[in-house]
Amino acid sequence: MSILVKGVTAGYGRDRAIVENIDLTIATGEVTILIGPNGCGKSTLLKTIGRLLKPRTGTIHADDLDVLRNHPKRVARTIAYLPQSPVVPTAITVEQLVGYGRAPHQSLLGLRSPKDIELIDQAIAATGLEELRFKPVAELSGGQRQRAFIAMALAQDTPYVMLDEPTTYLDIKHQVETLDLVRQLHGAGRTSIVVLHDIAQAARYGDRLVVMHEGRIVAEGKPADVVTPGLIRDVYGLDCEVYADPVSGTPVATPR
Amino acid sequence: MSAVTHTATPPRTALRGLVLLVALVVLVIVAALWSLSVGAVPIPTQTIVNTLFNLDGEQQTYIIMKSRLPRMVLALLAGGALALSGSIIQAVIRNPLASPNIIGINSGAALFALVLVLVFPEIPQVWMPLAACIGGLTAAAFVMVVAHYRNLSAIHLALIGVAVGFVFEAGVDYLLIVSNDSESSAPMIWLTGSLWGRTWAHVTISWVPLVVLSAVALLLSYRLDLIALGEATATGLGLNVPRQRLLLLLVATLLASVSVAVVGVMGFIGLMAPHIARRLVGGSHRLMLPVAALVGMLLVVLADGIGRAIAPPIEVSAGIIAALIGAPFFIYIMLTTTSEQDS
Repeated sequence: MSILVKGVTAGYGRDRAIVENIDLTIATGEVTILIGPNGCGKSTLLKTIGRLLKPRTGTIHADDLDVLRNHPKRVARTIAYLPQSPVVPTAITVEQLVGYGRAPHQSLLGLRSPKDIELIDQAIAATGLEELRFKPVAELSGGQRQRAFIAMALAQDTPYVMLDEPTTYLDIKHQVETLDLVRQLHGAGRTSIVVLHDIAQAARYGDRLVVMHEGRIVAEGKPADVVTPGLIRDVYGLDCEVYADPVSGTPVATPR
Repeated sequence: MSAVTHTATPPRTALRGLVLLVALVVLVIVAALWSLSVGAVPIPTQTIVNTLFNLDGEQQTYIIMKSRLPRMVLALLAGGALALSGSIIQAVIRNPLASPNIIGINSGAALFALVLVLVFPEIPQVWMPLAACIGGLTAAAFVMVVAHYRNLSAIHLALIGVAVGFVFEAGVDYLLIVSNDSESSAPMIWLTGSLWGRTWAHVTISWVPLVVLSAVALLLSYRLDLIALGEATATGLGLNVPRQRLLLLLVATLLASVSVAVVGVMGFIGLMAPHIARRLVGGSHRLMLPVAALVGMLLVVLADGIGRAIAPPIEVSAGIIAALIGAPFFIYIMLTTTSEQDS
């Protein structure tokens, strides 16, 4: 049981490929975090797995499901994908937004079954949004919005959840809140794949790091094995010292 | 955030929506009956009710059954269709200022319908909705193809639509100038969005497509909710976004085009009705679409009635009345819409 990416090459339009010949296995039950410098292809790879971008070559399987060949609705029952800074719809409440997470399980009219209602309630409770349930999403703060979108992905009830830079534009408290939520997803038996910018956060919250550079995977493994001065120098071109975070014991890189 | 005060009690949106729907239906019926009574020959409501249900009277019966009733039916059909079209386009393009008019559909439909009337007068009027649809689709297709290949933002899309609209409008103006006056006065009135001189023939050629398309639009209302979340999120929720977007725009274009074929260009209905509906019941399209349709019906029936009531026996086009109400409203939207998404 895993997501299996094989020989994937992808890019935009007729431009040069952004990711080339990627092989990646994402094991079930882990939080896998994709890191790398700007333009390394981490978001592009996530978009490809999330079916937002059709790869030029390669195959993607989630468990036994062929992600690229199956009906999008069928795939959306296995993989949830949240883009970076999603569009906030006008005049839609938190409860309605979370309800959209059930769309892949519903018919054309989107009528809710008892199970839909139960999962929507659970998702709202898990993200602590009870108080804001009937508030328009557009009126929430950045951190609350992000929680609402994660709740939508939770309601989707998929074994795999993919988040593209969920902490962008959030202050430090809301970043931590969001990442705690990601750990919570993991506790609930979901496998998550997250793109992050911050190496220290990635090391602290990820079970496994996948480092990308110039469209290729250059390192993967446990944070303590991956985050080394040598790797930071090679990938980011920055001379760093790496030490253990005094709170979590995970590696932190500080520029010299 | 002052969010934590009066919180998790559901605002009874479902009940409120239902009450609103019923109230709107009643309003539409009252306005429709009123529109039957006003005009060059005022007819008391009593007579209208008698006529509709007993068919007595003589002159009044003729006016009501041959002139005002088909106008009323067309006003309802077109008002609903334009409102649905506008709601769909606003959700798909994710621009609160979009409408069939703004993205050039109405002028495209008007030009093709006018070509049929003026250049090929021997072709029966039954084909007018079809000609209008081809015109509307041409305008929409042009905007969509450009947007697709250049991957344009909503703002650019709207601007290109405006430009395309101007080109088609120039064509309309040219045709009106070159055709001789006696022929062109009727199309001129029709183009300002008028129900003057509309008969059962116009109802016959338009009611089937308008009813079917409206039903399809209502069936697709939940997908419209998902589309409004943007391409990335909607794809994550299992929607084939390019295909659904195309389908929805096709329905919206046909709705507006058929309306243009029978009632001319009624600029502001497709823009106004969705905004009023969104303010009344929120952005969930399963409730918002029917409310918008009813609001559209109400606006057109009222505009037609007012146009006849102002200075009988002279008639002011419903489109002109709608624009007079619409322009201030448009400005109001511009002033109050927060720029929450600059996609």
